Amino acid sequence: MLLALLLCYAGFTALCLSMHRHYSDLLGHKLTPGRRLALKAVGWLSLGLSLWAGVAARGWDIGLVEWFAVLMASAVTLVFMLPYTPRLALVLAATGLLISPVVAVRQLLV
Amino acid sequence: MKEGFRQAMAWLHTWIGLLFGWLLFAIFLTGTMSYFDAEISHWSQPEIPLRPLDSGASVELAQGYLQQHANAASRWFIGLPDERAPALSVMWQNPGKPGERGTFVRKLLDPQTGAEVQARKSLGGEFFYRFHFQLQMPYPWGRWLSTAAAMVMFVALISGIIIHKKIFKEFFTFRPRKGQRSWLDGHNALGVLILPFHLMITYSSLVIFMSMVMPVSILTSYGKDTQAFFNDLFPAANAAKAAGSPATLAPLRPMLAVAGEQWQGGRVGRLVVNNPGDANASVSFYRHGGDRVVHTPGTGLLFNGVTGELESESALHAAPLVIAGSFYGLHMGHFAGPLLRWLYFLCGIGGTAMIGTGLVMWLKKRSLKHAQTGVLPFELKLVQVLNIASMSGLMIAVASFFWANRLLSTGFAERSGWEVNVFFISWGVTLLHALVRPGRSAWREQLGLGSLLFVGIPVINALTSDYGLTVSIPQGDWAMAGVDLTSLAVGVFLGWAALKTFVGVGLPAIAVGQTKRVKPIAGKPAPTAHEVH
Amino acid sequence: MVCPLGKKRVVRSKVGAPSASYRLAVISRVLAAIFAGYLLAALTSICAAQWLPMPRAEAVVTGMMLSFLAYLVAVLWCFACRTAWQAWVGLLLPSALLGAGFAVGRWLL
Repeated sequence: MLLALLLCYAGFTALCLSMHRHYSDLLGHKLTPGRRLALKAVGWLSLGLSLWAGVAARGWDIGLVEWFAVLMASAVTLVFMLPYTPRLALVLAATGLLISPVVAVRQLLV
Repeated sequence: MKEGFRQAMAWLHTWIGLLFGWLLFAIFLTGTMSYFDAEISHWSQPEIPLRPLDSGASVELAQGYLQQHANAASRWFIGLPDERAPALSVMWQNPGKPGERGTFVRKLLDPQTGAEVQARKSLGGEFFYRFHFQLQMPYPWGRWLSTAAAMVMFVALISGIIIHKKIFKEFFTFRPRKGQRSWLDGHNALGVLILPFHLMITYSSLVIFMSMVMPVSILTSYGKDTQAFFNDLFPAANAAKAAGSPATLAPLRPMLAVAGEQWQGGRVGRLVVNNPGDANASVSFYRHGGDRVVHTPGTGLLFNGVTGELESESALHAAPLVIAGSFYGLHMGHFAGPLLRWLYFLCGIGGTAMIGTGLVMWLKKRSLKHAQTGVLPFELKLVQVLNIASMSGLMIAVASFFWANRLLSTGFAERSGWEVNVFFISWGVTLLHALVRPGRSAWREQLGLGSLLFVGIPVINALTSDYGLTVSIPQGDWAMAGVDLTSLAVGVFLGWAALKTFVGVGLPAIAVGQTKRVKPIAGKPAPTAHEVH
Repeated sequence: MVCPLGKKRVVRSKVGAPSASYRLAVISRVLAAIFAGYLLAALTSICAAQWLPMPRAEAVVTGMMLSFLAYLVAVLWCFACRTAWQAWVGLLLPSALLGAGFAVGRWLL
């Protein structure tokens, strides 16, 4: 579940940042169209990969259930962290994204 | 016309949300707790020892016990212990008079000795589980009411989605410390971000009782032979009737081994012995709920009770039946391991909070007019009283149940009934309290009391039993410790909420945060439902 | 307070409370939603059980699961439509059609 969680959280963060209001609130400057597209792509790709990660680990029945659970948990965590600790929220996303290849390899090997 | 539609949906959402919100809050809260029903039961009956699991030995002991105590019964039920529920449960149904359902007797046995456990009588987690769909009402009225509430919840969810115009734009939006706006943001966030769970839990609760609430098609398709429908759905339960001639029941343990082989490592959850001691005895083995998502309680392995041979396996492969079984299984969450179970619990808390925030908002918006006088008209005062009693009052009742469990003498025979009485009496008292106290004070006092009671649960546990945190954590009894620690966390949360009533999401904050009320100017369309909020 | 339930004009008394006709209309819609809605849902389940090309048990189960969706739509309709009469007609007419369809399937085919 960990890989799916990291990817979901990072994906949602990217999608959040791809919105003008949130981008300027969190990062200061204005969102350029190029960045917007890139963030949307990263966001959706990350969510898609997280679905793959969830199902690959545990099959289509329990894997799908776990993915939805992780999807909701990461969304709630992000949205309720953002107004209180925005920097931490972003750092977690970045960290999660960075360590996800390591977690992926570990998951594939086990 | 579109504006009219949204407005109509807003009207519908707000009114059914209010009228059924109090009931739904209680259903959601107790239902959420039910995900840890086994752990709560373990906390409530700590005397039941945790033994290493040995299903073969357990089944043998259960057979011995039942043969001794229930040899005239029409059916035996054996529930094997697992990692969440340590006791070996046996139940039997006495033969009923013609036309009547026979009475059930239930006992918990020690899986190691086969003797009845000497544990304090308590319903434990079972109380909250049954309450959430039976509502302490006589059969079948509670189920009808809770299923009706589920249908209302379904309408409320869909109407809520319809009126949330900025569902994508405000997907990540939560603005605290802005009064009314924050409550709405919170309500929306809890609704949208946990929507898959809310839709699943609501729709699945309709599916679970669908044969009861929507039976017409059974009658039109099966005519008088409605039993045939249930046989189709629950093939394993369709056992032959008693022959009337006695025959010894074969040993169950070897049958268990065969069942385990058939399911290639799958676990047996429970057994039902039909007509024990009769020539037509049969034994049904049902798979443990934790093995897969789809929950089909009517399928299993059927053994001949006299010869011990495997006769048939029933399984449901048809898509609609698997879909219905999936809804049932997703609702119950039997398959969930510890982490997923916690996520289920948190989603349930989110749903409960979504309902709670809705109830609070409903009143806050309408009491603005009366802020100057501070006196609410009768109908708003009624809503306020019901809000307080159904939310903070219910929390106090829940905590009181746990307090009663530890304070009532362990030997007291009617204690399980009295734990339930304490629950309802304390809930009633909170209603009276909310009636006589002014709103803000009632909230503060009940949240404060709730906080003390919940924080006190681990304390009272440690003081009155040998299973406090200082014992359960080193022993690794995480079910016991979990209930204590969760109670502590709930107590802290309620304490924080009580303090908030002092600081007050009060008048200035509401005035500042409130969205402007736009009066329709001639020619201009009326404000959308969303903006009016 | 915003007046819901479509463009139906609400006659307000001097005090500002909704009129008797408004209250009656609301009650009518509620009753339509609860009872006519149930009727429509039940007929949906009956027709599905009869017409779906699957074994009996499966068709019945599918019908029951679909009926809740029908009930949902029925309830939404009762409050979205313009008048309380439309609420009733909008549910009873399809119910009659479904009932007729069922009767044809049952006793004529």
